[in-house]
Amino acid sequence: MPYIHDRYDALVIGGGIAGMQAALDLGEQGFDVLLVEKGPSIGGVMVGLNKVFPTLDCSSCICTPRMAESAHHPRIRLQTYTEVQAVRRDGAGFAVELLKKPRYLDETACIGCGECELACPIEVPHEFDYGLGARRAIYIPHGNAIPQKAVLSVEDCVFCGKCEKVCPADCMDFTQLPERVTTMVGAVIVATGLEITPMDAKPHYGRGLIPNVMSPLAMERIQSSNGPYGRVLRPADGKVPRSIAYVQCAGSRDRSIGIPYCSRVCCMYALKQALLLRHYIHDVEVTLYYMDIRAFGKGYEQFYRRALAEGVKVVKGKVGRITELENYDLSLRVELLDEDQRLVERRHELVVLSQGLIPAWHPSAILGIEEADDHFIKAPDLKVAPSVTTVAGTFAAGVAAGPKDIPDAIVEAGDAAMAAANYLAAMGWNGTAARVPVPA
Amino acid sequence: MDEQPTPRPQRPIEILRARHGGISKELKEYFNERQRLKKAIRAALAEGPRSVPEIARACGIPPPKAMWHVMAMRRYGEVVEAGERDDYVLYALKSKGA
Repeated sequence: MPYIHDRYDALVIGGGIAGMQAALDLGEQGFDVLLVEKGPSIGGVMVGLNKVFPTLDCSSCICTPRMAESAHHPRIRLQTYTEVQAVRRDGAGFAVELLKKPRYLDETACIGCGECELACPIEVPHEFDYGLGARRAIYIPHGNAIPQKAVLSVEDCVFCGKCEKVCPADCMDFTQLPERVTTMVGAVIVATGLEITPMDAKPHYGRGLIPNVMSPLAMERIQSSNGPYGRVLRPADGKVPRSIAYVQCAGSRDRSIGIPYCSRVCCMYALKQALLLRHYIHDVEVTLYYMDIRAFGKGYEQFYRRALAEGVKVVKGKVGRITELENYDLSLRVELLDEDQRLVERRHELVVLSQGLIPAWHPSAILGIEEADDHFIKAPDLKVAPSVTTVAGTFAAGVAAGPKDIPDAIVEAGDAAMAAANYLAAMGWNGTAARVPVPA
Repeated sequence: MDEQPTPRPQRPIEILRARHGGISKELKEYFNERQRLKKAIRAALAEGPRSVPEIARACGIPPPKAMWHVMAMRRYGEVVEAGERDDYVLYALKSKGA
């Protein structure tokens, strides 16, 4: 197994786009970085997206070069399938305790051929496809995964041993145990990203129990060329949907679910998905029910105009209730805000809830970093030092610090890397000179 | 003096199984149902290409469930698309050697 050194200049927690960017920016400045990712692959949410707004570039085409660069950079040590258990201040730096979860195979020997996955007899819902697609108990996380190594989910395993029999690299190791590893770092960047508000947050939208009411991330997978269905179909019965509704602010700007803030990306991802649906399905009708359209970024207003020009419909209205009909169509009760709050029932074949962003991880218990009222990491000096947190030597990047789109997450990651570099210089941090390799 | 027979060394997969307390009852039931449904879907498709609602009817399960299981078979190459009818994709068994 590759070893983890006993000392790094910086720890970056989270291997999504913000974490990779921060690690690369530090690595390029000559700092040694330990990049820790809890999942079996880096790439975060972005690598699962279909396209990005407003350019409609392929998302993974932008994300995967950065993934490869992060994995191969001489100054970045990538540690996937690993969780940060404890961080405590120790002299000029931080003592870090990591828990490396077992993949049940020798990661250095696995050649990523996927023979084990083909031999495995059990299919379960795949997290990467938000449950719509299947994976096997042993699997390569996805086609663009880095590292391209298998992982055995022991909870799904029926212990048949077929993976071991077919492995041409003889790399299976069923006796692996979780491993605790400790190291020292000079600075910490938290780039732990986002989750979306739970499907059951608003009971009158079906509590996540109506198959044709879906999350925007599931729609990203459905639209992707390597998605679970290979084309856009509705999950309830495989029908090509001809009428699709987007319910805006379905998880943001809503005090009733404790999320009063605007998530900043929902208007744009909904418009992007709606426009693409118009490209993917001939004659499809796509309607956004919205409170306001917030198209604030560079080129966003033009994108909104383009979506309208290409036939996306927008209705200023609040959806109060979604009911499933007998043939899996949906009936939406809508309060039309431009028509004196008139209540109407509108029928659609598929509904996407434009859910908001919430932090995926709360670092307060482990790092002592304070959270703001919105539960994202608090930036005490937001205007002049947006990535600086309440604990000296720790920095925040990406959605961990607040809802934002991909360009803003990348800019902020660069700021966090610069702030960490300045901090290390000011501390007189003695990096590589004191370092000796230790077996992990 | 009687010699004790040397116990057979445990295979690594048996060690893993023992550490995790064997297969859970839920997983066993899930696995058995999945095998049963795969068989039923294969039988339904043996008669020719079908849509998901048609497969669901033939297998006696709700369409959302049929959808997931057919897509899982598609993912691993057992089922392929075979045209479209009235906005529904038709699925067929992948022919041997194809």
